[in-house]
Amino acid sequence: MKFSYSWLQSFFSKKLPSPKKLAEVLTLHSFEVENITREEGDWILNIDILPNRPDCLSHLGIAREISVLFDLPLKEEEKRLDDKERKIEKLVNINVKDASLCPRYCAALILGVKVKSSPSWLQKRLRACGILPVNNIVDITNYLMLETGQPLHAFDFDKIEKEKIKKRGGKEIELPYIEIRRAKKNEIFLSLDNKKFLLNDEMLVIADSKDVLALAGIKGGKKAEILSETQNILLEAAAFDSLIIRKTSSKLNLITDASFRFSYGRDPNSVREVLEKAILMIKELAGGEYQGIFDFYPTIVFPKKIKLDFEKTRRLLGLEISDKEIKEILKKLGFKILSENLIEVPTFRLEVDLQENLINEVARIYGLWKITSIPAVGPKVAAPLNPSLFWEKKIKQVLKEACFDEIMSYSFCDQKDIENFFYSPNQVIEISNPFSLNFKFLRPTLLIGLLKNISFNQKNFSEIKIFEIGKIFKREKNKFLEKKMIGGMILNGDFFELKGVIDFLLEKIGIAGVWYDSFEATSEDSKQDVWHPTRIAEIKLDHEEIGFLGEISPLLREKYGIKDPVFAFEIDFEKLEKKATEEIEYEEISPFPAAIRDISVIVPKEVRVDEILTKIQFLSPLIRDVDLFDIFDEIEDNKKSLSFHIYFQSKNKTLSDKELDFLQEKIIKTLEKNKGWKVRKKEE
Amino acid sequence: MEKENLEEIIKKIKKAKDLDSLKEISESLLGKNGKISLALKSLKDLPLEERKKEGEGLNNLKLKIEKEIRKREEFLKKDLLRKREFFDISLPGKKIKTGHLHPLTLVRQRVEEIFQSLGFEVVEGFEIEDEFHNFDALNIPPWHPARETLSLGKTFFLKNGKRYLMRSHTSSVQIRYMEKHNPPLKIIVPGRVFRSDELDASHEIDFWQLEGLMVNKDVSLANFKAITEEFFKRFFAKNIEIRFRPSYFPFVEPGVEVDVSCPVCRKKGCSLCKKTGWLEMGGAGMVHPYVFKAVKLNPQHWQGFAFGFGLTRLAMVKYKIPDVRIFNLSDLRFIHQF
Repeated sequence: MKFSYSWLQSFFSKKLPSPKKLAEVLTLHSFEVENITREEGDWILNIDILPNRPDCLSHLGIAREISVLFDLPLKEEEKRLDDKERKIEKLVNINVKDASLCPRYCAALILGVKVKSSPSWLQKRLRACGILPVNNIVDITNYLMLETGQPLHAFDFDKIEKEKIKKRGGKEIELPYIEIRRAKKNEIFLSLDNKKFLLNDEMLVIADSKDVLALAGIKGGKKAEILSETQNILLEAAAFDSLIIRKTSSKLNLITDASFRFSYGRDPNSVREVLEKAILMIKELAGGEYQGIFDFYPTIVFPKKIKLDFEKTRRLLGLEISDKEIKEILKKLGFKILSENLIEVPTFRLEVDLQENLINEVARIYGLWKITSIPAVGPKVAAPLNPSLFWEKKIKQVLKEACFDEIMSYSFCDQKDIENFFYSPNQVIEISNPFSLNFKFLRPTLLIGLLKNISFNQKNFSEIKIFEIGKIFKREKNKFLEKKMIGGMILNGDFFELKGVIDFLLEKIGIAGVWYDSFEATSEDSKQDVWHPTRIAEIKLDHEEIGFLGEISPLLREKYGIKDPVFAFEIDFEKLEKKATEEIEYEEISPFPAAIRDISVIVPKEVRVDEILTKIQFLSPLIRDVDLFDIFDEIEDNKKSLSFHIYFQSKNKTLSDKELDFLQEKIIKTLEKNKGWKVRKKEE
Repeated sequence: MEKENLEEIIKKIKKAKDLDSLKEISESLLGKNGKISLALKSLKDLPLEERKKEGEGLNNLKLKIEKEIRKREEFLKKDLLRKREFFDISLPGKKIKTGHLHPLTLVRQRVEEIFQSLGFEVVEGFEIEDEFHNFDALNIPPWHPARETLSLGKTFFLKNGKRYLMRSHTSSVQIRYMEKHNPPLKIIVPGRVFRSDELDASHEIDFWQLEGLMVNKDVSLANFKAITEEFFKRFFAKNIEIRFRPSYFPFVEPGVEVDVSCPVCRKKGCSLCKKTGWLEMGGAGMVHPYVFKAVKLNPQHWQGFAFGFGLTRLAMVKYKIPDVRIFNLSDLRFIHQF
């Protein structure tokens, strides 16, 4: 919010410190001064008023702060309105229908004003604060709002409809009539700037018998606008309920200087004072005859009283500050010390309710920046490890070792992604107020972000290996689910490379017993079209599926402009984390040499390698390892040939040729027991 | 053999031009028919006394010559290595293949390490939250202006969910944690938060925050200052000053803005700190009594601080990254720098 330096100066007889000094001290004790600019010979301070200080949405409020911080007394008000007690009940009929929504309503009637432009000093101050001058009456209301924080509104008195009322004694007279009431459903309001608003009963209006004259606390209406020909005015100053102003303003998407101030609340006790100031200014700048004031204020707001525990103040701040210093600060701010620890809060400090609010006042005026460090007492022990984060860190490290780059991507995706990945609308979570259409849904899989990342990076890299660990979001019936996943993707690699990475990863986090199962999708399973129909496997631990591994369907990747093959995996982090362990057991290294024999076996095409491997591996404890090193497809009709290195080793001795021959023979016999399997020895 | 002879021989050895001529010399002295070998052989004809004396002398001579030959041999071999090739040490080193972690991960891991060593447990929470945990319990009741304005920005709400939302700050985890744990409490919460304001070089809609909470009988604002000072000193590995300024967040009172003396210019003023010498790192304050009440802790018995720093911002400052959007874009040319 903009504040004029010269305007602030006008509150003081003594000279203010320089704008820069003012800004420094205000920033450290009250509000951040974002910048200072030079305009029309004045300095403009752009101050970020904190939301808990509606009293400072005015030059008066900032002047009060300056007065406390620099120990400068505020000037006494010079002019006072004579004839303050004159009433206007005989001239206008004002009816506040709901005192809870409008705790105070003051109005003054001034007849015979001359509407013209306001003097240049006033126009300058308005412009400095970002408000365009209109005419003297409107300018005065704006000026006083900027000065005191109290919004005002002027109605053309002659535009207000008259209504017959019965006087005591049965005499009927006609009087201009306004009421402050909830709007009717579908009532229409035409604003000063000719905009039509459709209202409802959650909104407060000022209306005559026919029309809405103003949206209370937010905006004036066209009907009773002050124009150059206006002669008689009804000047309003009121306090409205902050909640109804906030709701209305939000519903109509209409935030004005007035609504902004009212939405934080106004002190009803200062309303009349401002109205009186306005009357004086109008008299001076627009002439006219002041008729009197209407004042509706059924429930007077009294100052709050709060008990302050001085010891708690010191304990909370960690600051040695004496009772006396605390009281001094509060007194300067306008608080009254009623007894030893009972503090009275001035009513303009609406937000001060608790002793903590008082402690805040003490701390900031004393200087938060002056608080010095005190190490917390207590034993210095390292905190317990969070196992989930431990494993997350470990997994990232392992994938990094496997030459994968870590990426992060948006938790959001768009409609197209959802369709491309074959999710139905009831499986995904939609944002009701998305930032843009690109961010309309929460990602149901990490694969979306990974694929988009490859699509983006492929212009710079021909080979890509990336992973992400993050949350995915799904809807199941009416429940929202979030789940941490690990996703990986490679461009221009192959299935078995990625499978090797998963084996490596699981081994490094101490998980044994992972196996890969062919994936049989049910026809309605959305996964089936994301992946290549045959190059897809379920990753399993014991009997539980923990994720998928496979080639991304060429049809899908082409939608993201990727020409080269893409392989991916996605694993449930939570399932993995439960099984992870740090235990690694040393296995004795045999001092005796290992012997290697090669075996090639011809099998029907559809036989899976792991079937053969298992058959060989479990034949003897002397078989240390079996490695597939060669595959020939189509060796004969529907057959393939697979070649293995078989490593034999004993922990107790060097195996003799005889023993090796025996073992090899055993393997061959076992394999050839299967129908259609035939072993060729390497020598043949 | 004569003394003069030995000097001659050593001279000869030292002058040997290459390994071949050295071998020749060696052969002529120590070979089967070499002078020394022959002389040694001829000893057997001498009487015992003389044989002993002569033998000793010859052996010493042999050792000396052998030593000289070895020396010369080594020299010639070294010389050969030197001469054989032109070795360009300015050729580039071979690129080591490895993956790269995202800079936010690196910053997060460092932050977690520091706080863990200061006794803070690292906690995670939900990214989908309800209004109670994101707002109400944090003293932000419905229609509180902070729901729309403040530094919170606008919150993303979920369709078809009874006021479920994407958490707009990690403070919701304070509530979740205090609902389940009794003080003393000492936690940090790194996590993603979501706000719908703007998307430009300095605004993200999906970014990382770091929440912290410490509650005990007498944890004070001065204690918080000590902790933040220690944290920032270690994080930037520099002497850092901390400055508190007044601020307002509904869930703390007093509320403060935490400024850190600019780690780049050391308060002299630079482009990073916009010539102010200070960097805003986030908000903090003493836990509001209403927050304690919302989680059924007695504010008479407990007090403590809470803070929320921008983890993404920490990464931007640490690595001097000017545009926040690059984190979620994850351009690999960017990732490869870490």
